[in-house]
Amino acid sequence: MKNTGDKEVVISIRGLVQKVGKRTVLKGVDLDLYRGECLGVFGLRGTGKTTLLHAALGVDRIKSGTIEILGQNIAKNQAYKKKMGLVTQQPSLFADLNVAENLDLFRVIKKAPFERLEDVIQRLQLEDYLRETLPSLQVGVYQRVALACALLNRPEILIIDEIIRDIDLESRSVILQVLEAYLEEGNSCLCGFSNMEHVHYLDRVAWLDDGMVKIYSPDEAENIWKELNAVIPKKRGEQDA
Amino acid sequence: MLRLFYAFFRREFTYIWRDRGLRVVLLVMPLLSLLLFGLAYRAQVLTDIPTAIADLDRSAQSRALASDIKQAENLDVVAYYNSYEEIKRAIEKGEVVVGVVIPEKFGQQQELRRPTRVAMIIDGSNMVYAINASVAVLQVVRTIEVKSGVKVLLAQGEHMKDAMNALMAVNIVDEPWFNPTINYAFFLVLGLVLNIWQQCCTLLSAMTIIGETGTRSWVHLKSSSRSLFIIFLAKILAHLVIFMATVAVLYGLCFEVLHLPLRCDFGKLMLFTMGFAVAMHSLGTLVSSFSRTAADASRIVMAIAVPAFVLSGFSWPLEAMPQILAQVVKWLPQTGFFQGVIFLSMKDASWAYMSQYYFQFLLFALVAYALTAVIFRLVPQKTS
Amino acid sequence: MRTMLNIANYEVRHILKDRVAFAIVFLAPLFFAFLMGSVYYSAAINDVPFALVDLDNSLASREVADYFSTGQHFKINPEIDTCEKMEKAMREGIIRGGIVVPEDFSKKLARKQSTEVLVVYDASNLLWGYNIRKFAYEGMDEFNRRYAAAYLQSMGMHPAQSDEVLNLVNCSIMTWYNPTYSYINFLYAGVIFIILHQLGLLGVTLTIPREKEGNTWIHYLASPLERWQIIFGKSLPYIIAGFFNYALLLWFAHHFILLKIEGSILLIALLGFLYTCAIIFLGFFISLYAENSLQISRYLILLSIPIFMISGYTWPRYRIPGIIIAISELTPFTWMAEAFRKVTIKNLGFPDIAYNVLGLSIMIVIGLALSGTFRKDREPIAEDKIRVNGGPEYPRRV
Repeated sequence: MKNTGDKEVVISIRGLVQKVGKRTVLKGVDLDLYRGECLGVFGLRGTGKTTLLHAALGVDRIKSGTIEILGQNIAKNQAYKKKMGLVTQQPSLFADLNVAENLDLFRVIKKAPFERLEDVIQRLQLEDYLRETLPSLQVGVYQRVALACALLNRPEILIIDEIIRDIDLESRSVILQVLEAYLEEGNSCLCGFSNMEHVHYLDRVAWLDDGMVKIYSPDEAENIWKELNAVIPKKRGEQDA
Repeated sequence: MLRLFYAFFRREFTYIWRDRGLRVVLLVMPLLSLLLFGLAYRAQVLTDIPTAIADLDRSAQSRALASDIKQAENLDVVAYYNSYEEIKRAIEKGEVVVGVVIPEKFGQQQELRRPTRVAMIIDGSNMVYAINASVAVLQVVRTIEVKSGVKVLLAQGEHMKDAMNALMAVNIVDEPWFNPTINYAFFLVLGLVLNIWQQCCTLLSAMTIIGETGTRSWVHLKSSSRSLFIIFLAKILAHLVIFMATVAVLYGLCFEVLHLPLRCDFGKLMLFTMGFAVAMHSLGTLVSSFSRTAADASRIVMAIAVPAFVLSGFSWPLEAMPQILAQVVKWLPQTGFFQGVIFLSMKDASWAYMSQYYFQFLLFALVAYALTAVIFRLVPQKTS
Repeated sequence: MRTMLNIANYEVRHILKDRVAFAIVFLAPLFFAFLMGSVYYSAAINDVPFALVDLDNSLASREVADYFSTGQHFKINPEIDTCEKMEKAMREGIIRGGIVVPEDFSKKLARKQSTEVLVVYDASNLLWGYNIRKFAYEGMDEFNRRYAAAYLQSMGMHPAQSDEVLNLVNCSIMTWYNPTYSYINFLYAGVIFIILHQLGLLGVTLTIPREKEGNTWIHYLASPLERWQIIFGKSLPYIIAGFFNYALLLWFAHHFILLKIEGSILLIALLGFLYTCAIIFLGFFISLYAENSLQISRYLILLSIPIFMISGYTWPRYRIPGIIIAISELTPFTWMAEAFRKVTIKNLGFPDIAYNVLGLSIMIVIGLALSGTFRKDREPIAEDKIRVNGGPEYPRRV
């Protein structure tokens, strides 16, 4: 995926401090997401990836800092939510409904027009699964449904958390194709990941460690990861932690 | 083995303490209910039934009649009106429960010895009042009728005493037993408080099995070589200790602070309560063995425990229920408990009498725990 | 509007697919109404197990006994014929009351002395106590009347004349609203309303915890939906179901349990609508802030009997301290139960329940205002505190 050159900022995070319980997870994060790019937030378990993504989306109350999405301060106006899409790390579709019902309910929640259903079903190749119940789905198909739901409202910004971790290759390729097309249309994506194998699908990497963020190019990030792993010679690498 | 037992016995207290809901339910709710019911039934005896008189006649005779009513026991004349309409309104609004209407020309008719009708109206919409009011009205009516009758007989030359006796040959001496002051609080407060207590305890007992098998840590217990029997026994005993500790506090407050009657030995009451506690716990345990979630278990046990109070015959008598229903509810531990606790605390019933309840509790507990053991083996438990 | 209806549509599907929610919303109200209805079905306490201890055993004393043994009030236990036996039977609950006719009863009557009979009753349960007392007084009153008439006639008075003496002041006792002294008319409507109250709350309070426990609430937070769309969309099915249950239970009560329901249908419908809305919006508010459905179930169900008992529906209201009344007025039940009794039992019109209508309306407004306080963001979920059964997790076997 290529970096588009115009550098319009769609999400701007400044001085984000977030406490979860008594623990300060984010200690003053500054981060920009540009239009058309896919920015990966990398961190091992418990470093606050999901916390950062949820704060950026405006669903978690933050301790301090400002977040602007598409030029609007999200504390003051929630109109931006019309232009957002979300895929969570934990399963969060309606477990009591089947695939078609889930898509339709998400259409309602996101105030998307009816015609969008056909488009996302076709893009994510869900035609054969519409009558299936969620517990019976494979993880990969589940993620496709989740992405389909997120794309219903034609979001300009997509926030996805660990969408392709540990899923079957077919679903992975479907999802990556859809995401590529999505970015081609000038949209942006902020995604959490913890497996360096996937780093080359990204434009930039925001490395989260000890509550702070450092920006790397994918190559830099991969090199740092290798160096870190070399320091722990005898133990197994935590590539998939 | 003892160490295993003790470890789980202690852990149960920690578990309950850290479950804020259970902590509040067990420590606060019974006391709160005691406060609530104690206050609500603070006016313990329903005397002074609010009464209004409409004297449409205003003669000497009608005033005498009004004063007879005023002196009646249990009737409290709170208002005098000038018309039937006003009395009607006062009863409609619930301001008075009894209304007396003395008709126009009452005095005149009396002089002429013509029978006259005095209307006595009772508001029947609240039975607690209406039943008492009906007796109070009946008594005052007797007095009035006898008085007027005696007057006539006297005028005809009857001897006063004979006349009285003729008109009021038999008097009633009424003796309310076991609760001589007809105290509503004695009747209700203990039962209501124990009802909340048993519901709170039922909620705890609903966690017995699902509280373990529904958690991720269950896999460790299941795969360990330690005896599950000892583990659950420790839990059950810990629960019983909590049940008895909370009820001891409640009994203390009821009998020492509110001075509710306790005519039996305290030890006897505690032993009886423990018999019930075991039976009740077995019911909760049984439900917790087949419920899918702790919330389901809680709802199911409460769906039994809440109506059980009404079904127990504690207020509405078992004898007045349809036979078939009465036969079924007899086997609920709550029925035995609420019946027995009254017999013990107010009548000091004998061991022989109480043994039927002990037998019921024991039988119930045996069946319920046995069923639990069977279901526990049949229902697949969580392993992931 | 359409969005709201769509949300409502899916809320219905959630209910239909969740066995527990379905049972709470659609099955449980009628089931419990049926159960409680069968408890109170006899409506009166008759056939009181009773002892007749006749120490006199004369014609006159048997006449007294007749007043107690005929009729449906008392069921005489023939084995109990001494005071000792009576005392034991009272203690064991075999009988709930008894009458003792003294040895000198007929002698005294013959000598024209007034005499006394002893009526004992079990006051440990006042439903027994009050009823026996009433029956006994009525019975003796009747006996005295007949005796007096017979006496006067034996004195040579003409029956019309004796009638005149006895009825010079003829007090007619009229019991309004519930002349049969039916406990159904007294209690059952209240029981129905507490069932609707608690099950209504229980049903609607599951709605947000269900989303939180299923981790789907985040999509509502992240959505462009307005708050009112969420509130009304999710409440609407419960309001409709609640009103349906209200009508169903009243129909059942009236036709099968013979609950007296008079008064204007319009007023009854209005009350039902307000009552349902007040419950549902209050429940929605609880739902928003409740920790999880386990904790709600625990607290809510525990409150059922206290809400009923302190409302002043049975124990007269003005005998209850103000503070308790104030607490009871926080629940829609108190307002509803009182208004419903006024309309259906006392057959009163709107002016007499205007205050209650106002009360219920205010509760609706407050419930809505409180429901509207929720923010479309949340505190980040903390996991560093030891908490058992807090947050969206509680034991489940799946």
